[in-house]
Amino acid sequence: MQLKDNKYIGIGFRKDFSEELLDSTVLKPAFIELAPENWIGMGGYWKKQLDKAAEKFPISCHGLSLSIGSPDDLDLDFLYKIKKFIKDYKVQIYSEHLSYAKCDNAHLYDLLPIPFRKDAVKHIIARIKQVQEVLEMPLAIENVSYYTPVAAEMDEATFISEIVNGSGCNLLLDVNNVYVNSFNHKYNAKEFIKKLPLNKVAYIHMAGHEQISDTVIIDTHGEAVIDQVFDLFEYTTSLLKPVPVLLERDFNIPELEELQGEITRMETIVSKTWKKEHAIA
Amino acid sequence: MPLLKEETRQQQSKLAEYCKTGIVPELNGIIEENLHHYRRLVFNIGIDTIETAYPITYRFLPDEIWDKLVYEFYAEHKCQTPQVWRMPLEFYDYCVEKDIQGKLNLPFLNDLLYFEWLELEMHTMEDIPYPSYDTKGDLLKNLLAINPEHKLVKFTYPVHVLAATELEGKEGNYFLLMYREKESGRIQFMDVSILYAYILEQIQNGLTLHAVLTDADSLFQINNFEMLKEHALVFINDLKQRQFILGFLNK
Ligand SMILES: [Fe+2]
Repeated sequence: MQLKDNKYIGIGFRKDFSEELLDSTVLKPAFIELAPENWIGMGGYWKKQLDKAAEKFPISCHGLSLSIGSPDDLDLDFLYKIKKFIKDYKVQIYSEHLSYAKCDNAHLYDLLPIPFRKDAVKHIIARIKQVQEVLEMPLAIENVSYYTPVAAEMDEATFISEIVNGSGCNLLLDVNNVYVNSFNHKYNAKEFIKKLPLNKVAYIHMAGHEQISDTVIIDTHGEAVIDQVFDLFEYTTSLLKPVPVLLERDFNIPELEELQGEITRMETIVSKTWKKEHAIA
Repeated sequence: MPLLKEETRQQQSKLAEYCKTGIVPELNGIIEENLHHYRRLVFNIGIDTIETAYPITYRFLPDEIWDKLVYEFYAEHKCQTPQVWRMPLEFYDYCVEKDIQGKLNLPFLNDLLYFEWLELEMHTMEDIPYPSYDTKGDLLKNLLAINPEHKLVKFTYPVHVLAATELEGKEGNYFLLMYREKESGRIQFMDVSILYAYILEQIQNGLTLHAVLTDADSLFQINNFEMLKEHALVFINDLKQRQFILGFLNK
């Protein structure tokens, strides 16, 4: 993605603040990210808003319903619609969740945890290759937050690494999800990150979450990013080459100043960890 | 040979089924006390989407009836669209197919749901190219160019005019014209009589207003062309002012 002036931090494009964002002198993301599912085939007022946004910002796509980990066959009709959307809006990064959202021919519109199993790894590698062939571009898969493993026979880091290495896809590293999982599943976040195929990281997510009990954090994207996640971000970026970073804020949208504050804080961090003059892939 | 083993597929299937029904499954190696978050998260997305799409029906139906309906829909129905904002249409189709209005003895329910869906549909539907047209012409003799982003719908109950609580016993023929304004994207609603609905439909089918009125004069047994013309022109001019009628089709 072509980003200017060593600015790396983008923001999720939400209908809730699209109008404000388009006219804003406060919020200045380097790019915007959107879910193609929310925009494909949409006309009228929202199509106009999208087109205005596309004139102003580079766009990355973060899908919701491809369901890469599903036992069901891939929905190729839908994939071709995504391909067209990617072309129409000159999207250079398309990412999806390493989870499943459809099963037994029913969409669930949320991210379910895939069993960390050898057969699932093979199944998903084949599907990612198929997606990349159709789209003629690499897919970036995201480590998701999960609240329980299911029938696991390996750990999460191994599961992710085997899929990334076996399929040749990129990794979207969600730093908040690592934090959430390390809390919920009691592991060391930094150790976890070191085990990932960091040379394949093409994109980073940052977000807020909500701790609902002594033992559980829910990945809500509805709160400010906490200090510990900023710290983990600093650590993570120190291990990586420069890549675009996205602030996800889907609910409970605050004043734009507050969002820009988070963006600025991330810019400050990467201006140290990534120094200057890196060309961004 | 499929790469995914049957055992893994079944685990995935059980978790997905649980999210749809809330009936706790037997799964291997899970954190039991955390499982319910998945049901909650999935079900809330479903409920929110449906309640946002059908606010009138949601407020009108007693809570226990609404909750049961949404629960059964989510448990029984397999959502087909990958785009969650289109899912409410599947809810409407489900209610029609299961004859929920018959079961609840609310004969206007399908109309009400459809009306609510249409509003969403009109807001979001893909842009339709406008025809090429002139602004000058003869309303009676030239073919009229109309806003292509419209729907003319027939209802058995006046769901677009009356509150849901007042619909009982109001069975009849009701027509609603909805169109999307080009610049603002706003949706306009207009209650139209059966006569005017007929006129609009025939214009849409490519007849001149004069030809339509000639037909309508006998079809509706008006037998007074001049009077019909006078009234129809008021209606058509009004639609022109509202920019539903754009002008005159270029040949
Ligand atoms: Fe994320």
